[in-house]
Amino acid sequence: MNKKTGNCPNFSMRQKTASVLVNKVIDKINKENLKKSNLIWLELTGCSGNIISLLDGADPNFKDLISQMVNFIYNNSLMAAEGEAAIRRLFSVADDDYILAVEGAVTTKDNGIYNIIGNWRGKPVTAYEAIKQLGEKASYVIAVGTCASDGGISAAKPNPAECVGIQSILNKKVIKLPGCPCNPDWFMGTLAYIMLCGEPELDDKARPLMFYSTLIHDICPRRPYFEKGIFASKLGEKTCMFKLGCRGPVTRVDCPITKWNHRVNWPIGDDSPCIGCAQFGFPDKMKPFISYNTTREESK
Amino acid sequence: MDEYKIVIKMFNNQKSKINDTIACLYISSKYHPPKNLIKHLGKKILNIKLLQIIQNTTPNFPMFTQAELTTYNGKNGNPAYIAINGVVYDVTNEATWAAATHFGLSAGKDLTNAFASCHAGQPILNKLKIVGKMADE
Ligand code: HEM
Ligand code: SF4
Repeated sequence: MNKKTGNCPNFSMRQKTASVLVNKVIDKINKENLKKSNLIWLELTGCSGNIISLLDGADPNFKDLISQMVNFIYNNSLMAAEGEAAIRRLFSVADDDYILAVEGAVTTKDNGIYNIIGNWRGKPVTAYEAIKQLGEKASYVIAVGTCASDGGISAAKPNPAECVGIQSILNKKVIKLPGCPCNPDWFMGTLAYIMLCGEPELDDKARPLMFYSTLIHDICPRRPYFEKGIFASKLGEKTCMFKLGCRGPVTRVDCPITKWNHRVNWPIGDDSPCIGCAQFGFPDKMKPFISYNTTREESK
Repeated sequence: MDEYKIVIKMFNNQKSKINDTIACLYISSKYHPPKNLIKHLGKKILNIKLLQIIQNTTPNFPMFTQAELTTYNGKNGNPAYIAINGVVYDVTNEATWAAATHFGLSAGKDLTNAFASCHAGQPILNKLKIVGKMADE
């Protein structure tokens, strides 16, 4: 936390949102018979970035999640089982109660044949079949990251595999946690809230308000430079990056507060403009990510 | 017709800022001769001075052709203008239009249809500065 924001309750309290919720769940599991939830983490057409990001979580961290909060049934990157044994495990809870977290978009072209996630009883299982089958039965579906939420990079032009966000093929509400990748706080906080109280309050795009209500621009430490019209002309300058094409003013999420990698830093804190990775339409609608030839007067 | 009512309502609500009034009047004048509107308003407003300001300011908006508009694309130090329903707005310093781009759109163009596709019914244009009017070509 930097000095300027250290005393602001908006910052200090919001940094604890996820850990307060997770600790409450763990407490209830230990003392009040709250049952651990079954969690399936399905990776469709993506880059595994969200599960890697989750491993980086700190306060709450991934160890708390798998050891004290949930029965982590399936994730293709992390589990020990492989091949058919892994897929058997995936479908083993199909009749139980489970929460489904999904990263990656769904390729729909040619019945989803361009993404096979494994073999089941000798037949290939497409990502499309897996999400259809497991998605409809799950007690909650959480889209983790921008691809699952809205297609994201997987659906960027020209989108040869005809990828879509998972909501487009499911007939039930999908809670969306866009971000490339999703911050561990957003996922663990949302999961913990679901286990305690059910569906959290969502905005009109089904994003939890507790993390996605504020524009980055409205909580950006460089906002005073914006107001005074002091703009960076190249990367590396410490002022407002509006003229370079910063998407903070159209992107709603609390990453200036939660930050990344054990809360060390975030893009704007490292002098790179926000590229709107948590905004619907990313990446195509957020382009260009950087512009040098803009309204700025040429320096003499 | 409805534009009259909107302007009158603005005055009645005492919320009217001169800029809003000019903007509103200006948009209306695409369909109605401004003089009629001012006459109509005159009955309602006691503040003659404001009326004079409106009368004096309205004709000063420059006209843009499509070709002229393209130079205001926010590049090379040029301001960023866009046209919606015949009115030209300045988005140079509008935060959501960083580097003169917004959700895949770029400045220097008539974006009437694009605007309607995402912002229909939202009162966000009145926060933008009006800088002119599109010429009928
Ligand atoms: C064509 C002319 C357009 C203009 C002049 C325009 C202008 C604006 C302005 C002024 C805002 C800020 C609104 C506020 O302060 O409440 C805004 C926000 C926004 N615009 Fe546009 N817009 C245009 C087109 C579009 C299009 C085509 C899309 C959809 C692809 C779009 C999507 C959005 C979204 C999603 C936000 C809100 C971001 C947020 O606060 O979460 N806009 N726009
Ligand atoms: S750097 Fe980006 S988010 Fe921060 S004040 Fe400037 S435009 Fe807004």
